[in-house]
Amino acid sequence: MSADLFIDPQLLRLTVTIAAPFLLAALGELIMERAGVLNVGIEGMMAVGAAVGFLVTWASGGSYLLGLGAAMLIGALLCLLLGYYGISLRGQQITVGLALLVFGQGLASLLYRAAVGVQFAAPRVEVLPSLPLPGLAALPVLGEVLFTQNALVYLAFLLVPVVHLVLFATPLGLRWRACGDNPRAADALGVNVVALRYAATVVGGLLIGLAGAYLPLVLTGGYSDGMIGGRGWIALMLVILGRWLPWLVVGGALLFAYVEALQFRVALVTKAVPPQLLLTLPYLLAIIVLIWIYRGARAPAALALPYDREARG
Amino acid sequence: MSRLLGSLLSALVLLTAACAPQSGAPPSSGGAAPAPAKPEAAAKPAAGSSLKIAMILPGPIQDADYNAVGAQALDEIKRQTGAETAFSESVAVADAERVAREYLNSGYNVIAFHGGQFLTIVQKLAPAFPNATFIMESSGQIPDLDPNVWNIGRKFYQGFYVLGVLAAATTQSKKIGYVAGVKLPDFVASLNAIKQAAHEQGGDLQVIDAFIGDQNDPVKARQTTASQIGDGVDFVVVSVNLGVNGVAEAAKAAPRPVYFTTYYTEKPELAPDRLTVSLLSDFATPYLQVVKAIQGGQRGGYVEMRPGNGFQLSEIRNVPPAAAQKAKEAFDAVAAGRKDIPEITDHVID
Repeated sequence: MSADLFIDPQLLRLTVTIAAPFLLAALGELIMERAGVLNVGIEGMMAVGAAVGFLVTWASGGSYLLGLGAAMLIGALLCLLLGYYGISLRGQQITVGLALLVFGQGLASLLYRAAVGVQFAAPRVEVLPSLPLPGLAALPVLGEVLFTQNALVYLAFLLVPVVHLVLFATPLGLRWRACGDNPRAADALGVNVVALRYAATVVGGLLIGLAGAYLPLVLTGGYSDGMIGGRGWIALMLVILGRWLPWLVVGGALLFAYVEALQFRVALVTKAVPPQLLLTLPYLLAIIVLIWIYRGARAPAALALPYDREARG
Repeated sequence: MSRLLGSLLSALVLLTAACAPQSGAPPSSGGAAPAPAKPEAAAKPAAGSSLKIAMILPGPIQDADYNAVGAQALDEIKRQTGAETAFSESVAVADAERVAREYLNSGYNVIAFHGGQFLTIVQKLAPAFPNATFIMESSGQIPDLDPNVWNIGRKFYQGFYVLGVLAAATTQSKKIGYVAGVKLPDFVASLNAIKQAAHEQGGDLQVIDAFIGDQNDPVKARQTTASQIGDGVDFVVVSVNLGVNGVAEAAKAAPRPVYFTTYYTEKPELAPDRLTVSLLSDFATPYLQVVKAIQGGQRGGYVEMRPGNGFQLSEIRNVPPAAAQKAKEAFDAVAAGRKDIPEITDHVID
């Protein structure tokens, strides 16, 4: 097995392409968790985002903007459901999240079936085209890897510094983090904890819906049940891996995407490793990394805890 | 008010989860029934025109693929024989016995399992319901089946040999890709048949295979195909179902022309200038043979689905005329039984 295999530009380019949906979903989850809302239903919400994003794009004759917008909207609505239970009704966020996971997967199938019905030619849309950045795309190696991607990849990576700045350099970010770490203290200082948690939930939902739509609109051109394939769970794990910091989340997303892309390349060059074992690599890595990283990680102190301002402190 | 809203939302969640495309099954009896000690006789003997046929499908019928052609076969049976039909889709193996029992207890006397994964369930139910007839699919003859079981042996590998001939005659890079899902004997035999075709073509052709572990994951299929293309592959023989969407996108995004094949249904819309041919699967052909035999009083037997009997080639596109001609000749030879293709299912040949 040659070392070139591991640094092949096409492998690295694929890594960046695959990392984008992980990144979008993980950034959405990160914002929510920073404000104290835990969403374990990402997988189901991404499924609905994928179905709605694809269906709207298809029905509108190929309007990506409409499709992506609809996916973001449905993601936000589903997160609002989570928010209503977890914030307003002060229910168990994990329980509600799991319910929404199942709900989302069922809803995605249902919507697709209702819109498409039974056809022998499954509907398709053209995937988002590559958008080579003038000047940068011509750079040797890096140009091909980073600057010949589609618009959503650029957006996903641009969001990393934006989310970081919002969280750590703006009053809004400070308030969000206060809601996640010590909502009672934030409330005492006049911060509207409920409103800010709802706001974070909606923003997170927008990004999660977008991550779901990425798969049919960028990678496959069509929708199929189960196409999220565990990526929502990986995104949830990436937030922990990234210790609730955007710049570490991007590293985790690239690492997992690299391992996912690499497994297929390794499978091509060696038959010594059973393909079934190679397919488990990203998940094995997830377990190993989580065990290693979680020791020093510090979650927002009030994560997943409902806030009741009337309760005694 | 909040409680009311909460209850409504909970109900909506449960309702929608239940509405995921799983079945049009008869009323649920809840949970799998225990194995019977004595034969049960809920179903009436299957003969004559009183056939009530239920088909159990492993996936959604809107997949435009394997399950869609199964549902199409059932429609054709209804149209041609006048039998009463019903189906349940997206039935997991663990649920299939329960669903079959519900049909049997509802008076259905022919249960068809569309898929090779239901053998043990048929072996369990057939002696328990001796008055019913069971139709199953497999890769070939299975010894010691009960007398009320019809077995449809699907010889996919013979069709894939033809796809291999087309690939070998078309590739410029001398590298053929094979993208499959689960490493089942059917798909191993198909891979070996492609390798045989490549070997017969000569010229040191290489077949690069990948089993991605899922028939319906287009994202993994795309990643795998992109990797194969990166490794020099310019012709991909596809053995995944909905995963073919990912293969098509990888082929379209390739920096040089990359062609591919599909099976089950014709899918030119995937990539009109990249798709070469589909190995069309007409399950109505063997199913009608079986149902007509049942109507004639024949309770069990074996029907083979192979090129010429259930498998056809679609129109061949986007390849040189000589390559298309070669594939057609290979198909005719296989259909006529003039071509010897060993069915090797237990290992991948070199």
